[in-house]
Amino acid sequence: MEDLLERAVQRARSHGASYAEARYQSDRNESILMKSGTPEATSVDTQRGISVRVLVNGALSFGATNVLGKRSLDSLVSKVVKGAFAAASARRTPIIMSPAEMVVADHMLKPRVSFENVPWESRLELLKDADSSALEAAERSGIKLPGRYISLDALTTERTILNSDGGRVHSVVPRVSMHVFLTALHSEKGTMQRIISRGESAGWEGVERWDLPSVFGRETKTLSKILRDAKPLKGGKMDVILGPEVVGLVSHESSGHPGEGDRILGREAAQAGETYLSKDSLGLKVGSDLVNVVDDPTIPHSFGYYLYDEEGVKARRRYLIKGGVINEFLHDRETAAEFGVTSNGSSRSVAYDREPIVRMANTFVEPGDHSLEEMLEDVRSGIYLKNFMEWNIDDRRYNQKYVGLEAYSIKDGELTSLVRNPVLEITTPGLWKAVDAVGDELEFSSAYCGKGDPMQGIPVGTGGPHLRLRGITMEGSS
Amino acid sequence: MKPQEVCESALSICRRLGANDVVVSVTNNEESMVRFSNDQVTVVNSLDEVSANIFVCMGRRKAGINVLDLGVRGLEKACREAVAMASNTPESSLYAPLPHGPFDYDPELLKKATVPNGPDQAVHWAQEAIAAARKAGALRTAGSLVARNSIAHLATSGDVRGLAYRPSLELSIRAFGDGLASGHSLSVSADEAGFGPAEAGREAGELAKAAKDPVKGSPGKMDAVLGPMVFADIISQVGRFASAFYVDAGMSFLTGKIGMQVASENMELIEDATDPHAYGASPFDAEGLPTRRKAILEKGVLKTFLHNSATAEKFGTQSTANAGLIAPAPFCLQVGPGNVSAEKLISQIDRGIYVTNDWYLRYQNYATGDFSAIPRDAMFLIEDGRVVSSLKELRISDNVLKMLQRVKGLSKERKWIKWWEVGTPTLTPTALVSEVQFTASSQ
Repeated sequence: MEDLLERAVQRARSHGASYAEARYQSDRNESILMKSGTPEATSVDTQRGISVRVLVNGALSFGATNVLGKRSLDSLVSKVVKGAFAAASARRTPIIMSPAEMVVADHMLKPRVSFENVPWESRLELLKDADSSALEAAERSGIKLPGRYISLDALTTERTILNSDGGRVHSVVPRVSMHVFLTALHSEKGTMQRIISRGESAGWEGVERWDLPSVFGRETKTLSKILRDAKPLKGGKMDVILGPEVVGLVSHESSGHPGEGDRILGREAAQAGETYLSKDSLGLKVGSDLVNVVDDPTIPHSFGYYLYDEEGVKARRRYLIKGGVINEFLHDRETAAEFGVTSNGSSRSVAYDREPIVRMANTFVEPGDHSLEEMLEDVRSGIYLKNFMEWNIDDRRYNQKYVGLEAYSIKDGELTSLVRNPVLEITTPGLWKAVDAVGDELEFSSAYCGKGDPMQGIPVGTGGPHLRLRGITMEGSS
Repeated sequence: MKPQEVCESALSICRRLGANDVVVSVTNNEESMVRFSNDQVTVVNSLDEVSANIFVCMGRRKAGINVLDLGVRGLEKACREAVAMASNTPESSLYAPLPHGPFDYDPELLKKATVPNGPDQAVHWAQEAIAAARKAGALRTAGSLVARNSIAHLATSGDVRGLAYRPSLELSIRAFGDGLASGHSLSVSADEAGFGPAEAGREAGELAKAAKDPVKGSPGKMDAVLGPMVFADIISQVGRFASAFYVDAGMSFLTGKIGMQVASENMELIEDATDPHAYGASPFDAEGLPTRRKAILEKGVLKTFLHNSATAEKFGTQSTANAGLIAPAPFCLQVGPGNVSAEKLISQIDRGIYVTNDWYLRYQNYATGDFSAIPRDAMFLIEDGRVVSSLKELRISDNVLKMLQRVKGLSKERKWIKWWEVGTPTLTPTALVSEVQFTASSQ
């Protein structure tokens, strides 16, 4: 394969490209879809092909094909170079790739339990057990579960990246991912829904670590309690404790996205949107001194794990917010050149036929020194949002909304009653500046983050400890 | 092998291996995409791909696989893997035999059709749109343009053989004015004649100019005029959750509502892939059934869910020719027009809000339809029937069905919408909806 890629890079260079890269990527996804206890289908989907990206006369062009062979690849290179000339005719300022130390590496994340050693029957049996556990919990709790939708994916991504600046990276990373949608029904109280996601960069051992039957039983029991017992919240000013699941999402949406270099430059303006930050925002105080937000691709087992990005740059930990101050943006080589810095290894692509763009990996608030009990102790009147169902944020990443699912009222330092659908609608600085205590235990969730055109849903981790926010106006139950 | 040979060969192998139902599809896709920002082309994407998929049933056991190697040995291996997977899968609760053809397809829908899809033409169109937006008052623009030619081959064990050409042109352009002022517009078409990049650019530019100096809006219930991009977002939710798959999974706010008045009487919603000039048109669905026009909403009454053969069997009805082999889905949606202009709708409002675009629609509860979405780009305060100022930073926090029941008027002009936020091509008017709940950040 390297010969083919080398041929593509050389041909692109001979056609006038000042920079060229070629990538082979194969994504195999073994998937099971189970609905209400019955498998709908099993499927294997393997997408593999070669992409070529070139810089010609200061313009970028990208192309891909899944018809592998010299003739097809030569044709692709010609087409991509032609695209670059067309693009160059519509540019005033040239695109530049910032200088970067190129990596030559071969990295294989070895699974402890290979997918090929786990027959379909075993995977289905596990999901059946989890589904049964949910049904039993529902029966014990006096509710029904009319909707139970589970998808379980075992993915293997193999990449070979080669570029004209000397980058040579081969990697193989297995991932496991599960998405669950539960609908609980109480004859008098109506419906309540929960989306559960799990994801790891690992072999089947990752799924085994999740202990799905326990998770399904526990989540169903909680749904039944919310349905039966949750009371409406009267809005007003109060203290708020956010659980790690909420904090992870906030880190991603309100720190990671606003700090993406391409978004700041307007490259995503018509799709994933813009940002409230600008090129001059480094050093801007957006949160309390306690807020430290990190994005780190190198965390073992994390869903957003990688060691080398798509441009052959070594991945590293990035402090996006440090002491409440905007500290670093996410960059690939293109945006880094615009900002006069070097890439911090944020170039990612979800498939062989998608251009690499600036992406997050695992974004989280760094843990502090408070236990949850210590946080609760100092709250006279407040609310604890453990997790959420609905959320959204505007395209500048400034105004966001989180509707609590499992949420509790806090009175005099104690969790009291469950609260139904409390609404937090707040600005980004409003949220970060209200943080006065940071929990000491870090937890991660997994998600697919959407960005780009065509859309690229890429695996990411989101995480954090508990956060306490002072003096927040909650809107009450929706 | 050529696509037809792949189809015939895979059918034959899977049948020989014992599959009772087999669907083979091969699609060739060739496209150029131009992305632009700050009035400059940021990248040109060129794709040339062939995808082949095999779906088999062993009894009621289902499995699907895609084929990478379209040679004789590669195909044999893929077929064997699909059959082995199906054999090891428990029986599905949703099963019906594939429809048995051969079928007669509308010759108009089978005609060979292409659009110009080279990078030079795509860049030219993008520049046309950018220039028109700038001329209309935009200070900068961003967007994407896709020119795609797609050819789909289908063969099934139900004696179906199909070949369809699916060309498409899509432009999405966002124009920016002073400060936070912006406007967004689209042009989508199945042919060059219906494609209007300059017109879309002009509209985006005019909206950006008109949205100058937006002020933070006040939350509360207000009458709202929802432009086509916003109303298409709401309508595409109805199309998506009319799929019997989601109804069966407990994920649809339409569950149990067939025959009920779910929208106001002026709401007609048609699912129709049979208009040969419509974006999203197709002669057949994924099981090979000829597509047909049907009403999802008629005078506001929910008439049907969207079915493939398997969901139809479970629901005790006939397929609506909307297969998806696992989940049925709409090809394209059309909302019936009203009889007044969009300006007339605005003139009917004493105090309200005109929303031209939205994004990030998320549900609090799929079963009830409680959701929120964020107005994006130009949004205006209406007083005494006139647009008086530009607004920002509001959120629509409402319920899909309740909003549909409060549709008070529709414009006679309609527009095709498909973009990042609205995946199903949707032809929709501007809508007047009463008492829409707007919320805002408190701090």
